[in-house]
Amino acid sequence: MSKILSKSALIAVNRIGDIIIPHSNEFPSFSEAGGIEHIDDIMSYTPPGDVKDLNMVLSILAYCPGFVLNILVKQMLSSNKKTGPLSPILRQLDIGLRGIVFTCYYSGKTGSSYKGKNPLDIIGYKITRLED
Amino acid sequence: MAATYDFIIIGSGTSGGVLAHNLQKSGAKCLLIEAGKYFKKETFPKNEADASTQLYWGGGLEFNESATMAFLRTRAVGGTSIVNQCLMNRFDDIAFRDWKTQSEVGFFNEKDMSSYYEKVEKALVLHTFDKSEFNNNAKKFTAGCDKLGYKWDYLQRGQSDCALDKGNDCIGCLGGCRRDSKQSTMVAFIQKAEKIGLEILTEFTVDSVENKTDSVLVKGEKAGQKQVLTAKKIILAGGSFGSTGILLRSGFKDRLPALGKYFSSHPQFMSFGIYDEYIDSHKGAFQSVASKDPSFRQKGFKLENVFASPISIGMLFNSVGKRHQELMRQYRNMACIEVAVRDEPSGEIFLNKKGKVVVRKELTTRDRSRRDQGLEVIQNIFSNSGAKEVVHSPYYFGLHLMGGCVIGSNAQTSVVDPDFKVHGMDNIYISDSSIYPNAPGINPSLTIMALSQKLSEQLTR
Ligand SMILES: Cc1cc2nc3c(=O)[nH]c(=O)nc-3n(C[C@H](O)[C@H](O)[C@H](O)COP(=O)(O)OP(=O)(O)OC[C@H]3O[C@@H](n4cnc5c(N)ncnc54)[C@H](O)[C@@H]3O)c2cc1C
Repeated sequence: MSKILSKSALIAVNRIGDIIIPHSNEFPSFSEAGGIEHIDDIMSYTPPGDVKDLNMVLSILAYCPGFVLNILVKQMLSSNKKTGPLSPILRQLDIGLRGIVFTCYYSGKTGSSYKGKNPLDIIGYKITRLED
Repeated sequence: MAATYDFIIIGSGTSGGVLAHNLQKSGAKCLLIEAGKYFKKETFPKNEADASTQLYWGGGLEFNESATMAFLRTRAVGGTSIVNQCLMNRFDDIAFRDWKTQSEVGFFNEKDMSSYYEKVEKALVLHTFDKSEFNNNAKKFTAGCDKLGYKWDYLQRGQSDCALDKGNDCIGCLGGCRRDSKQSTMVAFIQKAEKIGLEILTEFTVDSVENKTDSVLVKGEKAGQKQVLTAKKIILAGGSFGSTGILLRSGFKDRLPALGKYFSSHPQFMSFGIYDEYIDSHKGAFQSVASKDPSFRQKGFKLENVFASPISIGMLFNSVGKRHQELMRQYRNMACIEVAVRDEPSGEIFLNKKGKVVVRKELTTRDRSRRDQGLEVIQNIFSNSGAKEVVHSPYYFGLHLMGGCVIGSNAQTSVVDPDFKVHGMDNIYISDSSIYPNAPGINPSLTIMALSQKLSEQLTR
């Protein structure tokens, strides 16, 4: 449960997340890894106006059929080459949604019921931070 | 209202830290105001996700009006010096000559600036890398350059003890240095100034300022409570967006026609070489070399050997699904070079109807040509050092935010005069990155510090 994103917004993030990061041999899908449980850590510093806009957009997307979301993700990805009036909005959506998805997925935190390998371990990311 | 402080410094970053320290040391009563929190080495966010949401304005990234370019700037005591790479370079003759041409400011030359550089360099612990500290990313970069005959050089960085020999990985300090080794202004100036009585007001966002005959009012908000503070003189050190935004919200645009103009940002484009073997660019010294080829300088770009943590790397690739996973699987096999463009100061900062800062900044034809020349060189470097695939990220960002309140002798084309005073206002000064007349094509921090050193000497004379 999130205090920041609505229930339907969370559904949309999981659905879009699974298009961006589907299940594969090595990688758990976005929703399987469950990083979204920590969404409030990520979003608690987002300006309130942006949170409101995001909740609104995501709540609409939650009810779109899968093929519409697939088209949307494709459009988002190609938006940086486009110049039409919708392209700035698509670019913002692209950065915003991929930002949320990758931040949840590669934050090092997974869902409470997820038992598989952490995505950071799968890609081999390990750093040492020595404190004095 | 009688002034409570001799000086209020708004913004505690690269400029504000130096000013607060020097003015406090001179015996003046100073207040340093910062919109962000006061993180210390023990309290910096522990991972990439928390760092980008907690330390940056906009909860991570901000964008230009068309959302083609992202900007990064920090909101915390120490400002952007908390997250930056702390690479410290003096300007060369080319940078100063171009500044002087635009601003007509006489002291913009290597000789007149040298004593200020010397003083800030002395206050910092500076380290020049050598080959023994190279990680594999640097080895690939230098091998490719050597093969093609491009000149490169070791970088100079502000750091005291990064414990690389003990296995520390410096990529983590993009979210704040846990060892106080990186020479942020928090470490090198602010904490020292605090010990001699500097007052710091954190989580206070300045909205606007009002110029009175012998004082200045600073209006802002902390935790939803509006407050007004007063000082005999104030210095804006909020950076390009921060200082420009405050002056715009203060209603000074009518009096200062150049306010908000001449914004530049050294747009950076990252490319990845993928190798059969592990490169582990995230390990060891994060950045230790850069290009130093005179022909690149003339053409208006430079190459830096960089990398990023997984979230940012995922974002930089324009792919999802299988392709995304295929690339991320090779995270450890990637080397990375970025081209930073010496861009034209064609951007403009203004306020929208809600009073929010908006940045209009697109790449010009010249900027794109410089980018493309750099990308071609990068392609060659990777190909000549054994990369099996090269991926150029289509996304780009500005880390060096410059201009908006540029310095100059003409009040029609600049905002601050050669004494760092806002034209026509005796008690308001600026010496941060917003006064940069154009993009130097060189890391900006050391010069921001040197200019702030010059201003503090002038104010305490
Ligand atoms: C990831 C990264 C790496 C970089 N690496 C390098 C490098 O290696 N070398 C180099 O030279 N440069 C580097 N830079 C750029 C450099 O850090 C900046 O150019 C420099 O810090 C700008 O200094 P400044 O004093 O103008 O602003 P800042 O350091 O950004 O300080 C401005 C401060 O003012 C505060 N502020 C703004 N508005 C308000 C307000 N209204 N009220 C109260 N407070 C306010 C902000 O929160 C901030 O703390 C890097 C930048 C980034 C993002």
